[in-house]
Amino acid sequence: MTEIKTNQSHNNTHALRVLLLLSLLLPLFFLFDLLIGSYYISIGEIVKAIFHAENTDSQIMLIINQFRIPKAITAILAGAALSVAGLQMQTVFRNPLAGPDILGVSSGASLGVALLVLGTGGLLGGTMVSVASSWGIVAAAWIGSGLILLLIIMISSRIKEIMIILVLGILISSAILSVVNILQYFSNESMLKSFVIWTMGSLGSVTNIQLGVLIPSVLFGIIIAFFSSKFLDAFLLGENYARSMGMNIYFARMMVFISTAILAGSITAFCGPIGFIGIAVPHIARISLQTAKHTLLIPGTILIGALMMLVSDIISQLPGSERTLPVNSVTALLGIPIVIWIIIRNKNSDRL
Amino acid sequence: MIPELPDKIIDLTNVSVGYKWKAKTDKIVKSEISVYALKGELVALIGENGVGKSTLLRTIAGFQPHINGEIRILEKSIASYREKELALLMSFVSTEIIKVSNLTVFDLVSLGRYPHTNWFGKLMQEDQNIIEEAIASVGLRGYEYRMVNHLSDGERQKVMIARTLAQNTEIILLDEPTAFLDLANKYEIVNILHRLASDKRKTILFSTHDLTTAIAESDRLWLMLQNSVEQGAPEDLILNGNFNAIFHNKNLFFDPEKGDFRIRKANKRKACVTGEGLPLHWTIKALVRNGFEVIQSTSQSTIDITINYPEWTVNILSIPHKFDSLHALCRFLNLSENNVSS
Repeated sequence: MTEIKTNQSHNNTHALRVLLLLSLLLPLFFLFDLLIGSYYISIGEIVKAIFHAENTDSQIMLIINQFRIPKAITAILAGAALSVAGLQMQTVFRNPLAGPDILGVSSGASLGVALLVLGTGGLLGGTMVSVASSWGIVAAAWIGSGLILLLIIMISSRIKEIMIILVLGILISSAILSVVNILQYFSNESMLKSFVIWTMGSLGSVTNIQLGVLIPSVLFGIIIAFFSSKFLDAFLLGENYARSMGMNIYFARMMVFISTAILAGSITAFCGPIGFIGIAVPHIARISLQTAKHTLLIPGTILIGALMMLVSDIISQLPGSERTLPVNSVTALLGIPIVIWIIIRNKNSDRL
Repeated sequence: MIPELPDKIIDLTNVSVGYKWKAKTDKIVKSEISVYALKGELVALIGENGVGKSTLLRTIAGFQPHINGEIRILEKSIASYREKELALLMSFVSTEIIKVSNLTVFDLVSLGRYPHTNWFGKLMQEDQNIIEEAIASVGLRGYEYRMVNHLSDGERQKVMIARTLAQNTEIILLDEPTAFLDLANKYEIVNILHRLASDKRKTILFSTHDLTTAIAESDRLWLMLQNSVEQGAPEDLILNGNFNAIFHNKNLFFDPEKGDFRIRKANKRKACVTGEGLPLHWTIKALVRNGFEVIQSTSQSTIDITINYPEWTVNILSIPHKFDSLHALCRFLNLSENNVSS
């Protein structure tokens, strides 16, 4: 008996140790991310700016407070939110290639933005484009993803079979993207460019005021995910088992879908569609934590997702150069090798 | 009501199972099912593929509504239970193989505590003890921290049974728990089920295609036949001849002595065998497989075989042919038949 108990504590200690290590790495990468940018600021100045703001050069303060800190915080939020959303989708659909956008929530956001930037812009002769630069885009994306969420909830409360919901999600997603394509086809060059730039994703356009909306949204989504961790554990065995253990699958699904839509929808609204982080990170978390329990996996994906996104941001700055890369390309180039590795590994035995 | 059978744990009266599509177009898979299971009984559900075994199990598990009749679980209609209440009475093992990486045996079995734990699934000391006992009672002590997807099929099935024990329910339903297993594992799983039914007084219902183990270990069979559903002790059902109605296939017949099905062969030729012991037993088997009817007394039309192990002698037209294996003997008999017919 005592032997079993030490075993069990050993079993969880591995995961807890990894979580501790990750949470020590996070502030390091956060600081490193603050260092990188087109204007050179030394570590000393950054530390000084954070802890002794009154003695710092006002221009450096401006760069750090208005640009670099919001961007680094956005990176952490985006990485955490997309990864937790992806984890939930992979578990509920029992599909290793599911991601946060599998329900069509991100496509809904794209449609909202496309309607705003391309649609109304076209009708009103381009005057909307300037409005569309910040809050307008956020609102449009949010409304778009919210409507898709409602549609998904309506469907999932009527359909028992989870695989059918997956197929419908993919179909809805494709249909929405076709509408977006049509809008792009009929729009003029400058609007098209501003839309395409949005689709490339950006962590740098989120202001401090917008963070005041984004932070509570992401926190809310993550809290719902935490409250779903028992449901998610049961979903691992499939919905039949989950039901036989007394889980109300419709309620559990609703919790998970709302959390996923809030997380993926908010990040897409503020940063544009950011791919692959949400698919790759949950796998890294499972493998490094060596557990399937969501009470451990959720903090794991939060930390690993935040770290991955900080790294992506650092790479996208092309340290030492004046230019930057679209962050979406960096996450894809980081994420795709991981996804390929998952597929090859799956061929051998494992599924999730 | 028969007074000496008071505790019907599962009780079906004139039940139809199937799928409700719209009010008019119910697709009934099987109707007129009236069977029951008593406390502490191991019940095997037997029938041809497609006869509705899984549908019936899923209906009793509460996954799908029944169409007609009455299903009573512990003397109350199944419709009157909520999902959570049913989870405290019944646990379920499906045919699906669980493949989740990084899931330990302990964590999988601990999912069985689902209806007993708080919102976050926190395990109390009592839960820990129940989980450890469940793992021990299927013989997997020491496997607690192995990963489920590194186990063999038989071990994995034991883990799934341990999970139902952790759920601590009166009733356990299992859909073909021995389907993927080799012979030794089949016996072991059914034996574990038998032990749980008799020692822990669980009422266990499992579907199976494996008649030999079902007949040997079950207290009661539910036989889903072509036109009806019969129940009783396996031996009673063998004696009253119900087994022959299981399969559509007319070439299959139930051998009541062996307790298993055999394929009917057209017995064209007759043989009379002299010998004793195991060589005699297996010589008869080999001859039957090759289309012979083995009879007791010799006559004009029979082929006479004398066993003097390890040698077989066949006299055809008074010429003795000797063989050193049954394989050689059978080849010779088949060739001689082909020569005769051509």
